[in-house]
Amino acid sequence: MRSVGWWSWMLVAVLCAPLAGGCKKQGPSPEDGVGGPDGAGALGEEGVGGGGAGGAGGSSLARAQQGLSPEEDGVLRDVPFGYDSYELEGEAGDAVERNLRWLRENPRAKVEIEGHCDNRGTIEYNLALGAKRAGSVKDHLVEQGIDATRLSTISYGKELPVCSEETEACWVRNRRAHLVVLGR
Amino acid sequence: MTRLLTALVMVLAVVAQRPAGAVVTGSIFGPGSQSFPIAVVPLRALGGDPGGRIGQEFARALSRDLQLSGYFKLLDPATFVEKPDSVGLTAAETDFVGWAAVGASEVVKGGVLVAGDQVTVEVRMFDVPGRRDVPEVGRRFSGSRGEVGRMAHKTADRILEVLTGERGPFDSRIALTSTRGGRLKEVYTYAFDQDAPTKVTTVRSIVVGPHWRPDLRSILFASYEQHQPRLYQVDLLTRGVRPVIPKGVFLNGAWSPDGTRLLVTREIAGNSDIYLYDAGGSEIRRLTDHWGIDVSPAWAPDGRRFVFCSARAGSPQIYVLDVGGGDPRRVSHAGSYNTSPAWSPKGDTVAWATRGAGGFQIVVQPLDGEPRTITERGSNEDPSWSPDGRYLVFSSTRAGRQTLWMADREGRTQNELTGGVGGDSSPAWSPRTE
Repeated sequence: MRSVGWWSWMLVAVLCAPLAGGCKKQGPSPEDGVGGPDGAGALGEEGVGGGGAGGAGGSSLARAQQGLSPEEDGVLRDVPFGYDSYELEGEAGDAVERNLRWLRENPRAKVEIEGHCDNRGTIEYNLALGAKRAGSVKDHLVEQGIDATRLSTISYGKELPVCSEETEACWVRNRRAHLVVLGR
Repeated sequence: MTRLLTALVMVLAVVAQRPAGAVVTGSIFGPGSQSFPIAVVPLRALGGDPGGRIGQEFARALSRDLQLSGYFKLLDPATFVEKPDSVGLTAAETDFVGWAAVGASEVVKGGVLVAGDQVTVEVRMFDVPGRRDVPEVGRRFSGSRGEVGRMAHKTADRILEVLTGERGPFDSRIALTSTRGGRLKEVYTYAFDQDAPTKVTTVRSIVVGPHWRPDLRSILFASYEQHQPRLYQVDLLTRGVRPVIPKGVFLNGAWSPDGTRLLVTREIAGNSDIYLYDAGGSEIRRLTDHWGIDVSPAWAPDGRRFVFCSARAGSPQIYVLDVGGGDPRRVSHAGSYNTSPAWSPKGDTVAWATRGAGGFQIVVQPLDGEPRTITERGSNEDPSWSPDGRYLVFSSTRAGRQTLWMADREGRTQNELTGGVGGDSSPAWSPRTE
């Protein structure tokens, strides 16, 4: 019998990670129209967070609490944004389309959309900008027919960057909406 | 007739005597002019201070405050004509000729007595040209070992009051967030005699935007502890953390000067707006209602107006609005990205961060006046005013990592406050401790 390559197990781990995580949250609440989970913050607790084997998946904050860097892409594609912008344009269209397809193929999956910024803004303004970015992605997905109760948003501003170099190459990676699968 | 003449001579003698550091006003005199050469002698150990450590600690803290103020040239202790272990505490025991010869205009000296945990400090300032004790500065402090720093800060503030007409800001603290204790930010406090800030929270999540409650008993901050950002406060005595507003997503908040209300940034469906809440956590009114980002409210000292950052015109700019509501009026008119405003406790002057080519710089502008950029190196963010309205604390990357720096409002003096590993951000300068 042919042995299964290690990468197959990685793929399985990535796909199963969301199921392995103990997400104790309630479903999205009507609070603030964002549908953000509101109760005892499971994703905020140390050591818990939908991330499973090999550190795959999990919210950017949960990962940081476990000493891991935020993930780029993941099961769903990061949606890029222009400088100081929260408009979906250019390459964002590709990423959003791929995420739309995935969401339609996984109709029970719930997703949190994280808004992130590069470090060229100040802390508080970037928290607001990240919220706009997450909101843009959610609005578009809902317009395309995804049930709003499946989508929650949160902003991390520039607090959880994937890189810290003062270069355009790094800034572009940080200007993103990152989508985290919460459960399916 | 001779009596009248004598009286006249006496009056003239009094009038002619140069008062210690006559109060000089006007813009040519200010921080950065280093007007007063001053010698700070470590306190003489009068009992219970082996090695004179407390006396040195007091002098070190006082010297640093005076140096940070920008009004003084601190004389090198190697040139002192009186040594700590033999200083006299009266004018008669002061070598004014010797001090004048090394260039001192003022000399600060005194003694410290320690009995158990009780420390008594006697400090005096002497006017060298006038050859006299300056009674307005002289003071005796009694307190615990841990209060020696504050004794030095009160002395510095008093010296500044006597010599500049305005009481100094150093008997206060700075709240900040920092990663110096770990990957994730926590709330810290910093007093001017400390080598490094003290950690206050152990939230193990993201914390942003610390702001003092005016009674100094707690610090407000936003934290992601419960997944979405919310407002919490940490009690400085018990270190207990509790939520301030029970429902909603909040990016930041600030207490009114009288401690009864909060201006907050609330986020709903991706959009951020400014709201007014009461101390009990109930909404009083919504203050902005615009699809553009509205964030970072900062109270005016009169508690009736505030400034904030809004992108309603297409880019982040500073606006002023009445707490009763109305139409915001734009304050910043130069530059394409102006954010993080702070309102001076003295008068209608606002500071904020403006984005330039290399990063952010601090701008100071009277509400309806011209802006002045007061920093130029590194990236400088989140200015906060000193309680006397003369200085600003902000974060800066100019020394290679992010630490807190202090500048006077005209930018002539720039000093690093926190050093070490850095990772410091979002400073908030408290009101004076009493």
